[in-house]
Amino acid sequence: MDQPASLAIDCLSHGFGTKPVLHDVQLRILRGQIVALVGPSGCGKSTLLRAIVGTHLPRQGTVTVFSGNSHLTGHVVEGPGRDRGIVYQHYSLFPFLTAVENVAFGLMLDQTNISYRLFKFPRWLKRRAEHLKQAREFLDRVGLGSAASLYPSEMSGGMCQRVAVAQALIMKPALLLLDEPFGALDEAMREELQRMLLGLYQENLAARRKGELEPHTMFIVTHELNEALYVGDRVVGLSQYWDWRQAGHAQPPGATVVYDCSAPIFEPDDTRDFSCFAGQREEIRDVVFNPDSAYPREKHLRYWQELEQQREAEPAP
Amino acid sequence: MIGEPIARVWHVTLGIGAVLLLLIAYTILSMRQHRENPDDKTIPSWSQLSEGVKKSVEVNQRSNERWVVADAQATSLRLFWGVFWGVSGSLLIGMLMGCFAFVEAFLYPPLAFLAKIPPIALLAVFFVLAGTGETMYVTMIAFGVLPTLAQTVYLAVKEVPAELRYKAYTLGASHLEIIWNVLLRHVLPKLIDAIRLQIGPAMVYLIAAEMVVGDVGFGYRIRLQFKLLNMSVVYPYIVVLGAFGFGIDYALRKLQAFVSPWYAKGY
Amino acid sequence: MGRIIIFAVCAAALAQTAFAAKPPVFSLAWSEYPSWSAFGVCHETGLINGAAGKLGSIEEKWGVDIELKEAEYDPCIAMYGAGQTDAVCITNMDVLNASLSRPGVAILATSTSYGADACIVSSAIADVKDLKGKKVRGLALSVSEYCFARNLQILGEDPAEYTFVNMDPGAAALAMQQKQADFDAIVVWNPFVLDTLNQRKDCHVLFDSSSIPNEIIDMVVMSESALQKPKGKEFASAVADAFYALNKRMADATTRDDTLIALGEKFSNLDLQSMRKVVQQTKFYATPEEATKLFDSAELKDTMTKVVDFCVKMEIVAKKPVVAFGAGATGNLVFDPAYIAAAAAKP
Ligand SMILES: Nc1ncnc2c1ncn2[C@@H]1O[C@H](COP(=O)(O)OP(=O)(O)OP(=O)(O)O)[C@@H](O)[C@H]1O
Ligand SMILES: [Mg+2]
Repeated sequence: MDQPASLAIDCLSHGFGTKPVLHDVQLRILRGQIVALVGPSGCGKSTLLRAIVGTHLPRQGTVTVFSGNSHLTGHVVEGPGRDRGIVYQHYSLFPFLTAVENVAFGLMLDQTNISYRLFKFPRWLKRRAEHLKQAREFLDRVGLGSAASLYPSEMSGGMCQRVAVAQALIMKPALLLLDEPFGALDEAMREELQRMLLGLYQENLAARRKGELEPHTMFIVTHELNEALYVGDRVVGLSQYWDWRQAGHAQPPGATVVYDCSAPIFEPDDTRDFSCFAGQREEIRDVVFNPDSAYPREKHLRYWQELEQQREAEPAP
Repeated sequence: MIGEPIARVWHVTLGIGAVLLLLIAYTILSMRQHRENPDDKTIPSWSQLSEGVKKSVEVNQRSNERWVVADAQATSLRLFWGVFWGVSGSLLIGMLMGCFAFVEAFLYPPLAFLAKIPPIALLAVFFVLAGTGETMYVTMIAFGVLPTLAQTVYLAVKEVPAELRYKAYTLGASHLEIIWNVLLRHVLPKLIDAIRLQIGPAMVYLIAAEMVVGDVGFGYRIRLQFKLLNMSVVYPYIVVLGAFGFGIDYALRKLQAFVSPWYAKGY
Repeated sequence: MGRIIIFAVCAAALAQTAFAAKPPVFSLAWSEYPSWSAFGVCHETGLINGAAGKLGSIEEKWGVDIELKEAEYDPCIAMYGAGQTDAVCITNMDVLNASLSRPGVAILATSTSYGADACIVSSAIADVKDLKGKKVRGLALSVSEYCFARNLQILGEDPAEYTFVNMDPGAAALAMQQKQADFDAIVVWNPFVLDTLNQRKDCHVLFDSSSIPNEIIDMVVMSESALQKPKGKEFASAVADAFYALNKRMADATTRDDTLIALGEKFSNLDLQSMRKVVQQTKFYATPEEATKLFDSAELKDTMTKVVDFCVKMEIVAKKPVVAFGAGATGNLVFDPAYIAAAAAKP
């Protein structure tokens, strides 16, 4: 079965004032993928993510999101919506809600409105109980069942980020966006959370085996190459370093996608052996992060070819 | 060493000690004054004070009321309604300013300016604009506390990280829900803090106004009894006023802990 | 060494003589009111130097140092009650309560209200009976309320049927001028009486204190104990002397207007014309004879009985103060014309 697309970015360009930041970004993400986005600091990763969330629309180009329960339909992003979840590095949680309330918050906002909660209070209470129960289940899934009644200020950074992931997941978003979600965490905590994401990827694989729609599609920004290769099944490099002169620009036109390849797939319990992708890491360093490199922008976009080869290799079900 | 904590026993002992010291100092002062003039009423002795207290709490022959009860009722009602309208107005204005840039641009300059004027200086203006009845007290307190509170609300709204708003939108919030379920929740504890700080000034305006135009209330009684040199009534009234303010502050702290438990936990 | 001792002794002796030569300081607290502002004008004209340690011509004449303390009326009373001033400008009614804790002597009568306290009503009220059920606003337990009650009594009305509501006279006058709702009657004193009548031509005076002349008396009261101090009596005489000296300036056609303007300057923003009216309504006891006549009159005894009774009834005083008359009499409040006479005798 062909994987349907979850996100399509077409000809997206953006800038601040006269300063160009993103140039003609093209990207297509398939349902069930964990795509890691890497790039030099300041190249526009967060800007791209904001364009996808819809809080800051791009100057040019469109972002199309494909969402739905069984049948995916696409719509062009014009603002933030409930089909895209976001986990920020900071301020991920509402400080005035406990962990479980934070997770249930989306259910409340999505399924009820203020007048319902005020004027149909008894009914709302019943509904609320269901929400909290469901939220507790999600907390359990990220391993925080016991922290349900803690406020964000009472939790560690790692716990907060897990709650934030649960908070986003409960909405069953078509696309989960994460902007350096583990950037502020220590190594051990980071590793745990990476395993958690890998666990979610396993759920995708299980669904695919059953011929169902994969539940989680993630687009994760990170400045850690190892993390990108370890967590993602595909790594996309965004960079302002490419041969824009050859392409006919007098001034640097901004960052664009210069790297797009599949990445090794790990299972949560596998030993974390980063040496196996040392070569790929060096390649990314050279293509994406090296200010002196000037490769044609299409040169390292191998992902779709690789996917083709992989499908041919796979026996038809 | 600076900043060293002390044992709880010491806390309590020192606290009681300070109060005792105050009482002793007063007793000495009063005794000295009475040695000079046995009939003195300005620094009443303890027995004179108890007379004064009796006078304040007993049913008065002429008015058929207990002074403290009548005054406390009048003053607290005025204060309540004044603060109530002040808070309601400031929430509305502060929220609008925090949410809409054009309201912000329109209202910020006058508000910042008004917040700097001590309303006591506006007393005369309020007499002229709001009359001298009960509405005057309410208007005065409301307008007195409004600029500062509105600024507090506005700044608190501005302080809410944009990420939280975006996040709420991705969770399916409507604009109204952003205000009601995100911004308001954020603002409430800070607003209560600000109210706690504004109760003092509000009392100042109220007492000052009652001194001038009141016919019942703490300010009225204190001025009248002061003119009659009945300091034995004035001092207990001042103590009651202190307790009154203390009680309000305590109640507000409890309210804050109730509506915003997260805030106390070191947000 | 010897020289140092001699020097020290000399210095001490010098200090001693300087100290001895310095006249004793007595303080007088006053608030802005036509006949009391006289003391402020005395300071401006150099008759008195209100600062402690400096002497005006009258202070030199009597060998006392008068310190003037200006404050609002209420704080003046409190200052006197707390013993922070030796003498105070006060009315014959307000002094009663203070005299219970600090016996005093009325050393000088400066003026009497003769229309300066008035009940001003809107055109809706033609007769005193119309006031029933309406709120009459003014400063409670003050001469305003006294004036109100006394006039009702004269008109044969029962004060119990009328409601007198407390309000600062300034605020009441302002509210009346604004025609605020439910404002039909106020009892205030000058300058608010003239001011209100000027601003609202549709208002009129229902009654005023001219019906009770010599009952509301503005005076200077000195505490008994201060009077007994050395030079205390000279101070009392000096105060009276200064007051009459100023009255002479007012009687003199060449200085009259200047003095009037000076008197009215801080009192209110009334013009010269109105100030002339003010001093009519606040009738000065301009000469020693007038004041002595008042102090010796049987009428004053009668008045004080009425005032005391009113104060007792209104619970302004906790117990009845003893009011006595004439030199050598004893009581909480003594009206003693001796110092007025002394001032008159030493021109
Ligand atoms: N609001 C803004 N106004 C002006 N310039 C901006 C704004 N936001 C971002 N930029 C600029 O756009 C560029 C891209 O910013 P962005 O935050 O997307 O980078 P990034 O790739 O996420 O960097 P990092 O890895 O450090 O997070 C930067 O050069 C930044 O200075
Ligand atoms: Mg970023």
